Amino acid sequence: MEMGDKDKFELEKRSDNHINYHSPDSMPSDWRYSSANVANSSLGLVSTDNQMPVCRGDLVGVSSCSSASMVDSFSPGQWDHPTNSQNLGFCDISVQNNASTSNPMGIRKGGPASLRTGLDKTLDIGWNPPSSMLKGGIFLPTAPGVLPQSLSQFPEDSAFIERAARFSYFNGGNFSDMVNPFGIPESMDLYSKGGGMMQGPQEVFPGSGLKSLSVVQGQKNVMNMGDSSRDTSLSVEHVAIEGSPLKNEKKNGSLVRSHDEAKQGVGGSGNESEEAEFSGGGRQDKPSKLEGNGGELSAKSPASKKRKRNGQDADLDQAKGTQQSVEAAKDNPEVQQKGDENPTSTPIKATGKQCKLGSQASDPPKEEYIHVRARRGQATNSHSLAERVRREKISERMKFLQDLVPGCSKVTGKAVMLDEIINYVQSLQRQVEFLSMKLATVNPRLDFNTEGLLAKDILHSRAVSSSTLAFSAEVPMVYPPFNASQPGFIQASFPGMESHSDMLRRAINSQLTPMTGGFKETTQLPNAWDDELHNVVQMGYVTCAPQDSQDINGSLPPGHMKAEL
Amino acid sequence: MNPDHHSSLNPSSSLKSRFTKTFLRSLIKINKQRPFPYCPREIFQRCHRVKTAADKSLARAAGSRRVWSRAMLCKIRNRSLRRGCQQRPSVRRIIIGYQTTKKGYCLQKKMSDDQEVGTDQASKLRKLVPGGEAMDLCSLLDEAAHYIKCLNTQVQVMRRIADIHSS
Repeated sequence: MEMGDKDKFELEKRSDNHINYHSPDSMPSDWRYSSANVANSSLGLVSTDNQMPVCRGDLVGVSSCSSASMVDSFSPGQWDHPTNSQNLGFCDISVQNNASTSNPMGIRKGGPASLRTGLDKTLDIGWNPPSSMLKGGIFLPTAPGVLPQSLSQFPEDSAFIERAARFSYFNGGNFSDMVNPFGIPESMDLYSKGGGMMQGPQEVFPGSGLKSLSVVQGQKNVMNMGDSSRDTSLSVEHVAIEGSPLKNEKKNGSLVRSHDEAKQGVGGSGNESEEAEFSGGGRQDKPSKLEGNGGELSAKSPASKKRKRNGQDADLDQAKGTQQSVEAAKDNPEVQQKGDENPTSTPIKATGKQCKLGSQASDPPKEEYIHVRARRGQATNSHSLAERVRREKISERMKFLQDLVPGCSKVTGKAVMLDEIINYVQSLQRQVEFLSMKLATVNPRLDFNTEGLLAKDILHSRAVSSSTLAFSAEVPMVYPPFNASQPGFIQASFPGMESHSDMLRRAINSQLTPMTGGFKETTQLPNAWDDELHNVVQMGYVTCAPQDSQDINGSLPPGHMKAEL
Repeated sequence: MNPDHHSSLNPSSSLKSRFTKTFLRSLIKINKQRPFPYCPREIFQRCHRVKTAADKSLARAAGSRRVWSRAMLCKIRNRSLRRGCQQRPSVRRIIIGYQTTKKGYCLQKKMSDDQEVGTDQASKLRKLVPGGEAMDLCSLLDEAAHYIKCLNTQVQVMRRIADIHSS
């Protein structure tokens, strides 16, 4: 199956390449993409996980080695089908070629003769309305049997893609005309369209995938090459992704994820990485490939071409076709819309939100083209796609961590967030040390036989106990060099803290005020650190138990944490 | 926060409850096996034991599905094995029971494009999170999130125990 998918993708890519080539007949050797090479390399790569190098070799000629990066991005993905990434890479390349008109020739040359014929056919089809093409792309996942049909249509798509590339603005209606039932080819067309629109989308891709998404969204109407390509790619990917997830539940998850990621990647340099990740999302080779093709591409047309070339393997094709068809079928109506939505939604829901696909089918199809275009210019490089996917994953996790770490809701930026996380983890570890020291010194007055009771008490008790801070002479912790400016910490930690800690804190604060007169850090603690840590640190300095903690409660020294709390 | 991230079918066996039970048991053992420390050295030893027990029970409660929990258990096990005969048989038994191949699980992946975030920060985080050296940033953040959750639980439970005992 893998091989089949791979072949299909390759064919698709090739066909795309061919299509792209038609317009610009300038690309020569650039496209090592030549179907033969691509097919062989991709196939070879598929078998091994080193497709990237092979693809890269082929793609070297491509002005935008995005495909290579795409391949790379895909490989790391869980896609068993390395070809997927390759295909995507190729698609990107082809798309980019179209857009940049630098490799159009190369793409064409790359495609095998058969593909070329197919391309001719597609060209004959003319400027099919993009909608049709999109639909075709969505069909990919519909059924494996569709593959053969789609393969034949690939040439159409590739030609269409080429046309799209040539035309500055891809007519949305044309897509629908495209027969290609496979989502990949359509997506590729979309991408090609985007690529065509974009002259040099490659440079357009900004580094941040997320940014690209927003850009995509905002610039849907802008024919900004870079953005449009990104968008288009995003949309295309989105479409592709959507198609596949629809097909396979688990693939969907990964597809959506990857799609989203891919979309985001379009904007950023991580296009390819995203796609790769998508495929890795757990889809089986095919869907990931489809997605990769769709997502990445603006240069997907070459991918479609490639797929066509691989059409020889009915098995592969079928696998791809099913995926693609499914995707295409489902995504057709949605793809276009998704293209618009995807960029925005994908990043947010990058993590395999299958339901996203359906919800995203509300954007106007026109945006897809833009997205496709953006993608083309953006990320034919599989590396960028994969990077984008990866970046999105990381940003998702950072968001989750933001919720976890108190006082970090307003923090923006990875660096600051990471700092906060590091500080928080350090503070928690210090607290554990301190508490273990405390437990070591505490005299188990209670009968430990009542462990069960103790456990229940601990688990369920919410009572605040102003425990006396009986502390031995040992100062368990070293006062950590708290980062200044963590005021959120205290407030954030407050809700999470046990109520008794507040009392302890107050007691400690009141007691420590005189002690830490010269210790400006402690005063900063309440403002900068969660109260627990503050407590811990302060407890280190308290050698006597605050017997009159309750009395002191109300008399917190000014500027202490209590204010923050 | 609610540390019930490991909510199993049995609602009562949350991470918090698991940790509490294990930790209390080990605390009792520690208290029984050693006299109450009256000198700083004994206090240090005891403190270290308590901390180890806390970490171990936390890692066990977190399960072996997490890289950091496995790494922590391996670290404790190696530490105790290195000490050799000094280890208490109970500890050794516990450690043997948790022979997880941490090394095998740790991905020795090279972090290729991981430099978008501050490298020093990432490295700091790696040092903090057990087993974080061999993880890419993505999984490192995952593990860090889970680790933070578990640490919070641990701190809550330990503080509660300390409060109960000291009041």
